[in-house]
Amino acid sequence: MAHITINQYLQQVLEAIDTRDGVFCAELLSFKHPHVANPRLQLSSPEDKCQQVLEPPYDEMVAAHLRCTYAVANHDFVEAYKCQTVVVQYPSLGGTFQAHKEENWHCWRLFPMAVSCGQAEQQLLKKGKGKVGDMLEKAAEQLMSCFRVCASDNRAGIDDSKKWGMLFLVNQLFKIYFKINKLHLCKPLIRAIDSSNLKDDYSMAQRVTYKYYVGRKAMFDSDFKLAEDYLSFSFQHSHRSCQRNKRLILIYLLPVKMLLGHMPTNQLLRKYDLLQFADVTKAVSEGNLLLLNEALTKHETFFIRCGIFLILEKLKIITYRNLFKKVYHLLKTHQLPLDAFLVALKMMQVEEVDIDEVQCILANLIYMGHIKGYISHQHQKLVVSKQNPFPPLSSVS
Amino acid sequence: MATNTASQAPTSTWSYVGGSATEAPVHENPEWEKARQALASISKSQSSTKTSPANRTSSQAGQYPTAVTDTSAMQQQQYYQWYQQNQQQYASYAYPYNYYYPMPPYAAGYPPSQYGVPGAYQPPTTPTGQPPAMAMMDEQSSYTSEPQPPPPAVPQPPPQSPTSSDQPPPPPPPPIPPLPNAQYPPPPSQTPYNPNGALPYSPTETSPMRGYNHGQPRLAYQGYQPPSYQQQAVGQGLYGAAGRGDANKKPNNTNMNKGQQLWNRMKQAPGTGAVKFNIPKRPYVLANQNFTTGEQTTSAATTIATPVSSVTTATTAGASQTGPQDWPQAMKEYVQRCFTACETEEDKDRTEKVLKEILQSRLQDGSAFTIDWTREPLPEVKPRQSRWEVVPQRSQENTIGRGGASRGRAGARLGNYRNVFSQRSPSSSSSRSSSRSPSPHNRHRDRSRHRRSDSGSQSDSSMSSDLRPLSRRQQRAGRGRGEDRDRGRGAAGERGRGRGGKANRGRRNMDDLGSGVGKKRKGGNAGMDFHDPNREAKKQSRAARFHTNKRTEPLVLNINAVELPNGTQEGLSWEDCPIVGTCQDITKNYLRLTCAPDPATVRPVPVLRKSLTAVKAHWKSNQDYQYACEQMKSVRQDLTVQGVRTDFTVEVYETHARIALEKGDHEEFNQCQTQLKALYKDCPSSNIGEFTAYRLLYYIFTKNSGDLTTELVYLTPELREDECVSHALALRAAWALGNFHRFFQLYKCAPRMAAYLIDKFVERERKLALRAILKTFRPSVPVEYVQSSLAFPCLDTCVAFLTGLGVTFAPSDPSKIDCKASSACLTSS
Repeated sequence: MAHITINQYLQQVLEAIDTRDGVFCAELLSFKHPHVANPRLQLSSPEDKCQQVLEPPYDEMVAAHLRCTYAVANHDFVEAYKCQTVVVQYPSLGGTFQAHKEENWHCWRLFPMAVSCGQAEQQLLKKGKGKVGDMLEKAAEQLMSCFRVCASDNRAGIDDSKKWGMLFLVNQLFKIYFKINKLHLCKPLIRAIDSSNLKDDYSMAQRVTYKYYVGRKAMFDSDFKLAEDYLSFSFQHSHRSCQRNKRLILIYLLPVKMLLGHMPTNQLLRKYDLLQFADVTKAVSEGNLLLLNEALTKHETFFIRCGIFLILEKLKIITYRNLFKKVYHLLKTHQLPLDAFLVALKMMQVEEVDIDEVQCILANLIYMGHIKGYISHQHQKLVVSKQNPFPPLSSVS
Repeated sequence: MATNTASQAPTSTWSYVGGSATEAPVHENPEWEKARQALASISKSQSSTKTSPANRTSSQAGQYPTAVTDTSAMQQQQYYQWYQQNQQQYASYAYPYNYYYPMPPYAAGYPPSQYGVPGAYQPPTTPTGQPPAMAMMDEQSSYTSEPQPPPPAVPQPPPQSPTSSDQPPPPPPPPIPPLPNAQYPPPPSQTPYNPNGALPYSPTETSPMRGYNHGQPRLAYQGYQPPSYQQQAVGQGLYGAAGRGDANKKPNNTNMNKGQQLWNRMKQAPGTGAVKFNIPKRPYVLANQNFTTGEQTTSAATTIATPVSSVTTATTAGASQTGPQDWPQAMKEYVQRCFTACETEEDKDRTEKVLKEILQSRLQDGSAFTIDWTREPLPEVKPRQSRWEVVPQRSQENTIGRGGASRGRAGARLGNYRNVFSQRSPSSSSSRSSSRSPSPHNRHRDRSRHRRSDSGSQSDSSMSSDLRPLSRRQQRAGRGRGEDRDRGRGAAGERGRGRGGKANRGRRNMDDLGSGVGKKRKGGNAGMDFHDPNREAKKQSRAARFHTNKRTEPLVLNINAVELPNGTQEGLSWEDCPIVGTCQDITKNYLRLTCAPDPATVRPVPVLRKSLTAVKAHWKSNQDYQYACEQMKSVRQDLTVQGVRTDFTVEVYETHARIALEKGDHEEFNQCQTQLKALYKDCPSSNIGEFTAYRLLYYIFTKNSGDLTTELVYLTPELREDECVSHALALRAAWALGNFHRFFQLYKCAPRMAAYLIDKFVERERKLALRAILKTFRPSVPVEYVQSSLAFPCLDTCVAFLTGLGVTFAPSDPSKIDCKASSACLTSS
């Protein structure tokens, strides 16, 4: 396959089109297929050849694809992107995609094209080209128009409905939207999928991806329970060979879990190469505020880049709780002087802390249910419940 | 003569005219109109000026005085369009007309066979009665009465035309075009014209021909009904001219050369395919020419013209640099091709839309002149559905009715034809044309003759006789006159556009109305099929069915057409058409722009600087936010319009943002912030930290943790050092952890205007904090503590806040809050 001639390649495409073999056609147009590396296919002007063998608009698509491979081979990613846009445009611009009302084999073809579109952009990103965001937005528009076609396909029967393409497109769109930080654009897509009756029938791979993104979104919206559900689903159903994907999921699942009181084991962190979390985990469970601050600062860029810094920051509350719990265990009384907490906080090198702030922190913990008890302002004491003054995290919130 | 005709026509028609007139406006499509106007306004001046010259080139051809031709042509178009609109009304009226005028035409119901007969057919060159002109006779009166502008232009009354067609074309072309009746004049002028026109004018300038025909009728019209006419002219004024001019230019098709008549007809029959089967093509074509009513041809022409014209105008508007006359020939042909491929009105509308975009962008980036238009794929316009949707309606109409779903389409087509006769011109593509030429003339003339005799007015008869003898030259002269008059009406401005829109609308409506109207014509209509305008397209699609077609033209990857996002894809941006204001006023009221800015009302930067200082001073002394805001907005607008993005722009936005912030004007503040964010990329200011901090605070206000995260990612270490930013970050951290103590400490020492922003959500945070406090402290908490930790400026405000929430104070000591009793009130609130 890697060494076929251009004519052979085109014949294969033609055959795939004729037989409506979407999967094969998709392969032939994808960027993950060996033919991409075939120098015999990397033509600077494949139009003539394509035109001779294929009918419009396929000839244009294939020609654009071939030229795209050529551009990639030359590391001209801008050009590649443009070519790829032409390829993707086709289905969306209504030509073939809309014309074949009753068929959905084109969906298959769409997939790799959209993916490679994204890849072209990623490569652009790596090259540090400016205005990549714009490029991505443009690509999102393309995909969106595809999505609309899919979503509005109400006529075809369930088996060959283009709606099967929806989730894939949604996932691609998520990918872009997350990259360009336009999470609000995800909402209508989520709604569309949620209201889809095919929701649970899409392929597991697609559903895993979907849940991953929706879980992330829920996390950013501070809906941690929902986020945990979605992310756990995707983590559990992710294919076991997809270590990288699992790691990606864990990056978001871990903070959520920790917030909900489930600390990851070091073993897990090591397995997925997420030792950045190790210190955080340790600090939180020990109530070591100092260590937590250090860990957060140390890996700040990583956490911020993943978008989880703000979430991890919330772990401070848990850390306070654990710290205060230690104080409680040390003093072994139900009436804890506030000064004791102040000392503890100062030991953790919290700056400019005073008794009022201690009261404030305690108030928050009590308010959130992490501590059962009350503060006597008059006596400057924290009075904790005799039973279970520090209820387990998982039972809280 | 003029007087005579005037008297007769008005009297008879007037009565019902009134009714119809009122309806006309209803049909108009306001948004369409608006949109077009908006676009048009941008390049108003350009298009108007350009179009006229363009017309000239072709029209001149030596024969006509240039100026005259232009205007007349343009007006003519207007009329057409107008006519179409009216046609709807007419459709219903058609029969009544017959009654009023006991004329042979309609009532007689000429047998279709006549038309079909080859013998009847006359070679195109010979002037056949021009349907359009004739038709108008009846309607004219009605038009005049109507408020809408183009009354006289409407030369073609469809219903009558058939009669005229029946009669053999009068050998001599009608001599005196303009003078006689408004109604009659058109035919004579046209006849002579057409023969010439079809060939000589050929591709590029079909328009002029048309223009003449129509124009003349108008002249006559003016003669007898000066007042009404004028009104109309004025009304038209704005939109008509430009559009028309454009339209004229476009049509130049290679096709046109071949035979415009054919062309027209083809366009007309939108769905004709089905009909074809019944009848052998050749004969019919010929036959058609004979019997085609004025309506047909005219309507076809008009319909065609309208989309094109609107496209042209729009495009011209968009790409102001080029008027249609500047367009490459290949591009014009391309446009023509696009419209030819249309099967239905809907298609045409869609095509028009798409074309506008394409052409505009092409013209803008200049690729219009470099790319190979012949290879350009036709725009994919049609949704399959539309066809089917439309079909059923029409098929019902069709009495011939071949049942069956498959047949439906055929029926539809027939329906169209019928409609054509009944004055609704369904589809038709764009030829504007000379095509209306020969056969129509004959008819026209005939008709006019009949009419006159019917009416019994002597003047008419005399006229008709005069008409025939007139030589072409004479006619031309007459034309010339007419044109002059048209011009006199002036307001060449941009009528075309307005008209186009209306015409489209009218067309559509007519389709609806028409269904009821014309049963009789069916027979005759059958012939029309031959000219199916979409023949090509259909062929293609048919071929496509079997997947046998390879691309015929060399494939060109149009990769460069995919513009990079940061490119000019937005179409119009202010940077593209920079203007420099000339206004010297320091103050200016803000008016939302609804059209292209007029440099005379825009202030240049130096003046704006003064304005800014003036506004600042005024603000400091008067604190009049209304005034300040309005002034700032007008300054911003002037900057935007002139594409000024400098430090001064930054300053303006910063100033406005601060003022708005101070007065708590969310909307303006956000607008300024958005702009500032973009502006800072180009012109970093020393206040970048301040406004970044405001943005962070605003995200806290909106609890938008997502954007907050994003913002954090882009915070550079230097920025983090900034006083405002670091404060905002600390505040954010405190807020995120619910550390109200720290939060309010920071609130107390907020730098610059941050406190104004924090004020927006300080109440919210206080409530939250109070809730925690009430839940935590037992049995009571002193008000003082609450006051200090929640940063109330004094005890009283704190107490007021607490009582406002319904907090219970300890019975024994009013300075303490009874937490247990109070906690209920807060949770409920």
